[in-house]
Amino acid sequence: MKLPKIQNIKLIGIILAIVLVFFFSILGFSGMMAALGIILLFTLPIYMILDNFGIDQDEKLVFSFFIGVGVFPSITYWIGFFISFRIAIFISFAILVIAAYLVTRYKNKNA
Amino acid sequence: MKISRNYLEAGIFILVYLFALYLWTLPFQDNASPYGEFDAISHWELGDFIAQRDRTFVNLPPFLDYSYGDDNKFKPHTLWYPPPFHTDFAIISVFSNDRVIPIFLTNAIFASSILISVFFAIRKLYGFLPAILSSFILTFSMRDILPYIWGQWPERFAYAFIPLILYAFYMYYTTYSKDGSKPIYLYIMSLLLAVNLLVHPLVFFHSAVGLFVLGIALFIKDRKIPFNVKHLGIALILFVILLAIFPYQTGNVFVSFQQGGDEGKKASIASLFSWAPNPADFAGSVPTEYFSFGAMHGLWTLPFLLIGLGVLLVRRERRDIFLLAWLISLYLILHRDLIGKATFLHRSLSATAHIFIPITVIGAVSIPSLIKLPQNYRSFLKYGLAILVVALALVYNLPNAFSTLNNSYDSPLARLNPSQIEASEWLRDNIGENQNVSIIGPPPQILQKVWWMASYSHRTSAYFEGFLAWKIYEENREEIIQNHLSGDYLLLDYTDISLLSDRSLVNQWQAFEQNTLQNHTLLYNKNNIRVYKYEAS
Repeated sequence: MKLPKIQNIKLIGIILAIVLVFFFSILGFSGMMAALGIILLFTLPIYMILDNFGIDQDEKLVFSFFIGVGVFPSITYWIGFFISFRIAIFISFAILVIAAYLVTRYKNKNA
Repeated sequence: MKISRNYLEAGIFILVYLFALYLWTLPFQDNASPYGEFDAISHWELGDFIAQRDRTFVNLPPFLDYSYGDDNKFKPHTLWYPPPFHTDFAIISVFSNDRVIPIFLTNAIFASSILISVFFAIRKLYGFLPAILSSFILTFSMRDILPYIWGQWPERFAYAFIPLILYAFYMYYTTYSKDGSKPIYLYIMSLLLAVNLLVHPLVFFHSAVGLFVLGIALFIKDRKIPFNVKHLGIALILFVILLAIFPYQTGNVFVSFQQGGDEGKKASIASLFSWAPNPADFAGSVPTEYFSFGAMHGLWTLPFLLIGLGVLLVRRERRDIFLLAWLISLYLILHRDLIGKATFLHRSLSATAHIFIPITVIGAVSIPSLIKLPQNYRSFLKYGLAILVVALALVYNLPNAFSTLNNSYDSPLARLNPSQIEASEWLRDNIGENQNVSIIGPPPQILQKVWWMASYSHRTSAYFEGFLAWKIYEENREEIIQNHLSGDYLLLDYTDISLLSDRSLVNQWQAFEQNTLQNHTLLYNKNNIRVYKYEAS
């Protein structure tokens, strides 16, 4: 998994902060948390997986959101059938992050 | 810090998208009570129920089974939609620790994500200017805004997948060769197609027709067939795995497709010369202006749309074929009644803006290239036309979109008031899941209130407000009171009393309460709402 350059992290941080402040100002704390949840849970894990496949930055961002909204809840739904839904969300996130790590390791080994 | 062009473009897009979200969230910025028609209620309650219960489910709980028990044709009494869309709502509701705003905001982001996918696809194929203009004008698309506030939530989101699915296929096709190719695009297409089906099956068929048309069009252009067994095999496995996760709902898609709905309706050949279905066929359920190009898109877009179409047809580059195939597939989908598949035909019309607007913008910015001019004048004219398009959208499209979103469901009769929310929460915490709650009170013209109370309380609501007034209960009302309501809970709601013009209804409720309920146990009495445990005598 390649980490973005430090300048990019700063810029991404600024953009994220603007987005969160925007939602806080129009919809309050729960609106801000909802926006953060969508970025963190649906987009980030799949982005980490797609980051290994040599596609453009904007392609990774857009595809990870649209795939994430299907894959993340599918895992959470079935785990949440057996255990607490709140814990299922956490476990699903962990599963996808571990999957991203394993894909990266596999790709690096075979590079 | 030097800001690259890519970041600058991303920044401008984020500003446009946040502006769109500001508009699209107007209905719940100042009023955090849930709103919408029957469809909106069903989508909200599915997500909310999972979040509040802290468990998912396969068999429908009683309050959902009451209304939707037969909707899954393959396995009745289970979810009729594939679960991911509503589980998304539940996840964000839990993460944000709130019942209303997170679900409505998630829906607003999903419904407006067509701005993201159109911006992305058009920017990749035509550059930043057509992309940002398309996204900006889509912000005011009434054919998107109206179904969004009515409650066709999954369908709105599903349409955002079409340009991405077509783009992924386009990239796989155009980069394919015997020496090397990028199969990742085919795998991504396969995943997006599966998620598209999980979000809304109707739109999945639109995507499939789009792929078919694009595949044929590219084949005619390039005379190559990207056939690789390994690539296709992996893509197919990914697709099947995602669908196999929810067998009951996938089964429902196929059974429903075979059974159909309005399939008896005969389409006329004359309809081939029109984009929109006949408004008369949907009188009473969909407003006439929804079928009007002028009312929905603005007539000012028509000349640019025709120029854009002409440019694409004459030029026929691969990227032009992409847009033309998308347009043709929409036309085919909108005329599927000719082969006997007329169910939800009007809903497919809601996808017109997604392709009409990019072609309109391409028409506008292509005008300078059609005129013999020095290069610097050409650039000047191009950006001048872009400013003109923005101005026309602000003058003709923004006001309608703003007033529709700002005024939607802002009547106190359209949303639950704090007393009704408090009583609904009391019902959820104090009445068993299998018990029926009959809500008597809100006037007949605001049936949604009763549905929303049933939804908010997660308790069934039968014999609601019409029970005392409707003719269908006239003959056996006394019998129902004596027998059927045995074991029920009755909720008398007088909170909207000051908003009623017809006082006779209030008198009826009060007389009913005094004559019928005085010997039954009063469990809740707060803010002009009373709940009785009705015991059959």
